[in-house]
This record gives sequence, structure tokens and C-alpha cells, in this order.
Amino acid sequence: MWPIRLGQSKINPPVATAFASIVVVLAIGSIFSRNFLSIGYLLQQLQVASFLGVIAAGAMVVILAGHIDLSIPWTLTIGAMTATAMAAGTPFGDAGGIVAAVLVGTIVGLVNGVGAAILRVPSMIFTLGVNAVLDGIVVLYTGGFAPRNAATRFMNRIAVGRSILDIPNAVFVWIGISLIVAFMLRRTPFGRYIYAIGNSEGSVYLSGINTRLVLIGAFIISGVGNCLGGVLLAGYAGQAYQSMGDPYLLPAIAAVVLGGTNVLGGSGTYLGTVAGVLLITLLGSMLSVMQIAEAGRQIAYGVAIVVMLLAYGRSPRRRE
Amino acid sequence: MTGPDGAAGTIGRPVLWEARGVTKRYGGVVALENVDFACSAGSIHAIVGENGAGKSTLVKIMAGVVRPDAGETWLEGRPATFTGPADAAAAGISCVFQELSVLPHLSVADNIFITNPPRRWGLINVTAQRREAESLLAMLGWTDINPRLKIRDLSLSRRQIVEIAKMMARRPKILILDEATSALAAEDVGKVFNLLLRLRDKGMTIIYISHRLNEVDRLADLYSVFRNGRHVDTFAKGSRTHHQIIRLMIGRNVERLFPPRSRYVASGPPGLQIRNLNWPPRLANISLTVGCGEIVGLGGLEGQGQRELLLGLFGVLRQLRGTVEIGGQPRRIGSPAQAKSSDNRMALIPEDRKTEGLVLSLPVFENITLASLRDLTTGIWIDRKEEASRVDAIVQQLQIKVGNVAAPVGTLSGGNQQKVVLAKWLLTDPRVILLNDPTRGIDIGTKHEIYQLLRNIADEGAAILFYSTDYDELIGCCDRVLILYEGRIARELTGSDITETNIVAASLNVHSPVPAVAAGE
Repeated sequence: MWPIRLGQSKINPPVATAFASIVVVLAIGSIFSRNFLSIGYLLQQLQVASFLGVIAAGAMVVILAGHIDLSIPWTLTIGAMTATAMAAGTPFGDAGGIVAAVLVGTIVGLVNGVGAAILRVPSMIFTLGVNAVLDGIVVLYTGGFAPRNAATRFMNRIAVGRSILDIPNAVFVWIGISLIVAFMLRRTPFGRYIYAIGNSEGSVYLSGINTRLVLIGAFIISGVGNCLGGVLLAGYAGQAYQSMGDPYLLPAIAAVVLGGTNVLGGSGTYLGTVAGVLLITLLGSMLSVMQIAEAGRQIAYGVAIVVMLLAYGRSPRRRE
Repeated sequence: MTGPDGAAGTIGRPVLWEARGVTKRYGGVVALENVDFACSAGSIHAIVGENGAGKSTLVKIMAGVVRPDAGETWLEGRPATFTGPADAAAAGISCVFQELSVLPHLSVADNIFITNPPRRWGLINVTAQRREAESLLAMLGWTDINPRLKIRDLSLSRRQIVEIAKMMARRPKILILDEATSALAAEDVGKVFNLLLRLRDKGMTIIYISHRLNEVDRLADLYSVFRNGRHVDTFAKGSRTHHQIIRLMIGRNVERLFPPRSRYVASGPPGLQIRNLNWPPRLANISLTVGCGEIVGLGGLEGQGQRELLLGLFGVLRQLRGTVEIGGQPRRIGSPAQAKSSDNRMALIPEDRKTEGLVLSLPVFENITLASLRDLTTGIWIDRKEEASRVDAIVQQLQIKVGNVAAPVGTLSGGNQQKVVLAKWLLTDPRVILLNDPTRGIDIGTKHEIYQLLRNIADEGAAILFYSTDYDELIGCCDRVLILYEGRIARELTGSDITETNIVAASLNVHSPVPAVAAGE
């Protein structure tokens, strides 16, 4: 069972499964609510999916390279807070806010990348530590006084506004970022290196490629994705607030894995991640129209990941 | 010549363990072919032979690590096939391998009694274990090893001693030492040898494998020579000279499958020049020169620093000291990326193509262009047309047999996989090529193509440093051969001096000059 990244016409089994699951979820949802299949409701789901999609895009790049970024929640939060504070509190405005968020994401990604690629701390531990440190920084920063944390009108517009054909602007943001990531993975040396490192870092290193730089790049992409996701979420919620990123760690990784990306790296398609994001989002809303509480939703996510890993995660990465 | 049958090999003592018609294959490689071998109680029996002669396979069969494909093994007059090392140990056969099996984070006593610790109420009796370890070590002659110490705090030599003690704790009838003394420090060697002689006198059988003939002479009562998976001769100590033994190890038939040498004439600065390269303790004062257009062979036993030398030159090792010049220019090479850069244009064909040379699950074409992707980009995008045409050209040139270049490279045969590794590096247009045993496990036809390819590349002006464990390759393919022994260049062979006899003698660091083998002998 090989992920077919180059035989363009074929879709690999995990991606097909993810899309089939989406159809099943839509069918079940429509039984519980007649609205479930309405255009309005689906567009709203697409808007919610966009936030997760932007975060999952970055998470996927790191997972493909054989690492993991567990600093998603607080990178997202600190990105959102920096953007809102910068946009409202300085003369740079919205542009300044977004540039600041990208900058923060780059710095966090750089720290994660240095820890995982140069200091060689397992990324699972290192990024978890960075997450805790960022948590602390946010508490320090917001502890004494209330910063300007209200989202600007611009942020609100890109997150929930609609301009063309009543499609939420956030969807266009997601599409834009998706195109960048998908082309980067398929058509640039960097993308090739990411897949190759996820399979066999030693071979890539001995091929005269600076694998550390590639890994640091992957973590930076994840950091920037998290911060941009944070800006969108702040726009959606109207403000940046502590713990706003907590509900996104598991769904982001779940979306990547459900989309067929090997959780140990080396294989997976971007289309799969898109399918995974849609599936996770629709699964959540299906559970809510079934009036299942948050606790039940968490259980469903967990079970979905485990089932998917059982189905695909155990297949050997290498054929001897 | 004494026949290799059991009776002749036991000088009157009762046979303890015997192999009859044993054959073992690994894939298409025959490791042992129809081998008869016997060892008797109360003797030290040395097994000698070249790399790949089948020595290690034989002792692995004795120790229950692998099972023969055909033939019988007998222990004390009864057929005995072991299901695993534990089974063999229970029957009284223990083996100390070159690769240590002691666990670094456990104590000496824990390691010695790891399989069968003294117990009380079902729990490990730590006090008794320490006491027993102490008395065992004292009995063996190492009172200065504290059983409470962690293995990681001991020197390599002392770890080897603990390994031997661990096997002795099982009270074996047959103790096998497979290159187990190569890591011993000088002061431990004598003690180990005395111990082995003492154990023999008490009736133990010791199978001793070593490449060091001088050491073997001090210990062995009997020699058995293996060559290409066959048991060629068994004889008593002193009945053959070193040179006769070496000739037995080599055999006579050498196939000629090598391209003719070009007349190498040094001109201009050498492609690669190294002075006083040091990487303690594996490399000591290595100086060598490889001219443009020259193929220089690296020989010697496995693990004498050849791998480290190649990796060091390619920028993988840290704290390597010495000077490296490429094309007459001094260079500092800190990483494979620097080694590959346009200033240096080096290439390394690594030892293990599956984990170091290739990304097995990626397509053939992605592997081929992995090292040269930078030359294939326009802007930030990979030029896929250019990539496809270069891949097609190199696949044609090297005659890589591949149905679809989008298939995972792991689906190709070993020979074609190695060609993909070569193709990857040829696309970088290297001028210094380092090869680490590139034909290991490859069919003879592909080997031939690789030799021809190397000669062609050399003729185009590349400097090639070629480590091989195959003596025939060194003789047939190389303009000069350097033999490494314990991290040093023990001998340089040129022209007609590149013979198997000389290579083997230099590899074993036999100091007396070896006379050229007379024709027809």
C-alpha cells in the first residue's frame, strides 16, 4: 500500500477512506438534523474547518519529517495575543499585527527546530516543554494588567466575513495556505527533503543535504501556521484569550493522521490532510447535533485516531 | 594434506561436537557448503580464514544462533539441533561474540547472572549474586573488577572480560571466542590467554577465532582453515608455516573480471591528499594521496578504521585532526553538505545502501536526484522535465534495470539499488569518490559493471578511494592498495606487489616479509 504522490490520477487508500468517512458522517448527521446538508450549514462548517486547516497544514509538515509539534496550543495563543496587542496598541495596525504573529511563529518554530534538530531532544518532549514555557510567558504578560486583546475589525472580517458568493473569507485563507504548502511539498527540493528525512534521515544527511536546516524549516512552518490560525480564531471569537488553543492540539494531529499521513513521518498527501480536517470538523458537528456532550466528543476523537492508526499506522514504512 | 574429516582433526581425543555435511545459505550467498568439522574435549581449536570464509556462520550454528539448511550437528555422540542460544547454553555451549552483549546500565554482577540469577523467594538474591560474581571473577583472575560497578564505567577491555565471565558463569563444556580478544588491552591479553590454557587443561573445549595468527600460535592446539564456506584443512599446531596457512586461506582460483588498468601517470596536484589524519582511537596518523585518475584501494581486516577514514573525509566525524587537500587546495570539511559543495565535489558510497545510501520507500527517480536537486531547480521549483531527462540518461548509462522510475527503490534488486546510489552521486559530477565496500552482496555481473564504471570515471579524472573487503577487487581494480591495521596504514602495495598473499599478510600484520608466491606452487 504505497501513497501515490506522483501517479497523480490515483488516490491512496487512507485518503479515499477519509473522504468515504466524510460521506458517512454527513449521512448520519442528516438523520439527526434536516439542516445538516443545507448549503448555509455546510459553509459554516467550512469556515470552522478553515481554522483547523491552517493549523493542521503546519502540523503535517512536521509530522512528515518524522517529528511532532506539541506546542500548538500556546503558540497559537501567543500568536493571537501578539497580533491583537500589536494591531490595536501600536500605529502599525492590522498589517503590523499579522507580521508580528508571523514573526512570533517563526521564533517559536526556530526554538523548536533547534531543540529537535541540533540539540537532538526528542521533539515530543522538547515542543511540550516549549508549550509550557509559552504558557508561562502568556501568564506573565497578562498577569498584571489586561492587554489589548480584542480582535480588530479586519481580523474579524477575515475570520467570519463573507465576500464572494457568500463563501467565508477564512476559507480563502485556508485555500491560499493549502496551495502554498501543497506545492512546496510536491514541487520544491525542500518538500522532497521533508519526505526523505521522514523516511531515512541518515541517507539524506549522507547525500550532502543540510538536514538540520530542513527540520528547522519544518518547525518554522508549523509555528507560523499556528500563529496564523490564532489570528483567525481571535477574529472568530472577537478576542484573544488564554487557553484559546487548547482544543486544537488533538484535532490538528488527528486530522493529519486521519488523512493518511504516517504518524512516524515519510508518507502522506496534503489532500489527505484536507480530508482529515473536514472529517474532524464534521465529526464534531455531527456529535453536537446528536446532542453528545463535549466529553463524548473527546472520546470520539480519541477512538477515531486509534482506529485509524490500527488501520494504517502499522503498515511498515520501508519495504525491505 | 590432512583430510577435513572429524577423526583426523581430533588427535585421538573423543569428539565433543561435530558437524556433518552442514550447509547454510543467506539468500543466494552460500555461507557454509557441505562442511564436516569436529572438535574434541580439552583442546583449543583455532578457526582461521578470510572475511566471509564461513567461520562466524559455523560458530553461530554451534551456539544455536542460526540453524543449518542441511546437514547434521552432533553433541557428545548424539544428534543435537538447538532452537536458540539459550538452548545451546543449556547443552553446554556458550559463545562470546565480537559485538558485546553486556548491558551498559547494569552492574557487573547483574550482567554476569543476567539469564539465571541466584534467587531467594522468587526474587533476585542481590547479596548472593554479588558474592558469586566476586568469587567467579577471582577464580578467573580479575580481583580488581568490582561487581557493583556499572558496565558503562568499565573500559572496553574490561567489558570484554565481563562478557567472558558471563559465559563462564554458565559452566560451558565448549566456550567459543569469536574475535573476542580483539578489544582486549595488552595487560588483559596475557591473563586471558593463561585462563584459556588453564581451562583447557581442566578439560574444556575452546573454539578460538582470530585474525591474528601470532596470537593463535600461542594458544591453539589445532588449526582449521576455512575458505569460501568450505572447510579446507585441519592440522596440528606447528605442522604448517604462516605462509602455508595464508595460502590455504586464499586458495588458488582467482577470477579475472576486472577492466584493464590505465597507465596512471601523476600530473598536476593530486585529487585528494591527506596528512596526519587522527581520530583517536580509531585513526592514527593517516597520510595518503590519491591522484586524479587513480583508484587507490583500502584493505585490511574489517574494523581497522577504514569506515572511519571514509566518513571522516566526508565530514561526518567531529574533532578529526589533520589536513585534507583537494586538488591541491587545503579544505576543512565539516559536513557531508560541505563535502558535496562545488568547492570540494566529493561523493561517498556508504557501507549500508539500505539505511545510508537510499530512502527505500521513495521512488527510484527521487533517490537518483536527491543529492543533485539543487542543480535541477529553476527559481524555487524543481524542473521536472530536466529531472526526468537526467534520470533517463543515467538509468540508460548505468543500465539500471527498473520498470518504472516512480516505483519505490526498495523494490529493486541489491545490485540495481547500488547502481541507484552510484547514479545519485554521478549526477553531482564528483572529482573525489569514496567507496565503502560497494559490491558487498551484489551479483557478479553487476560487480563487473561497477568495476568498469569506476575505471571509466577514473579515466575521466576523478580520484577514487575504494575500500573493499574483497581481496580480488583490491587486486583487480586498484592502482595501489593501502592496508590498514588498527587505524594505521600498515603497508602500501603497488604494481605486482598487490597479491593476495601480501594483502593477507599485511592485514594480519605479519611482520616478516612475505616472499612472492612462486608460479605453479
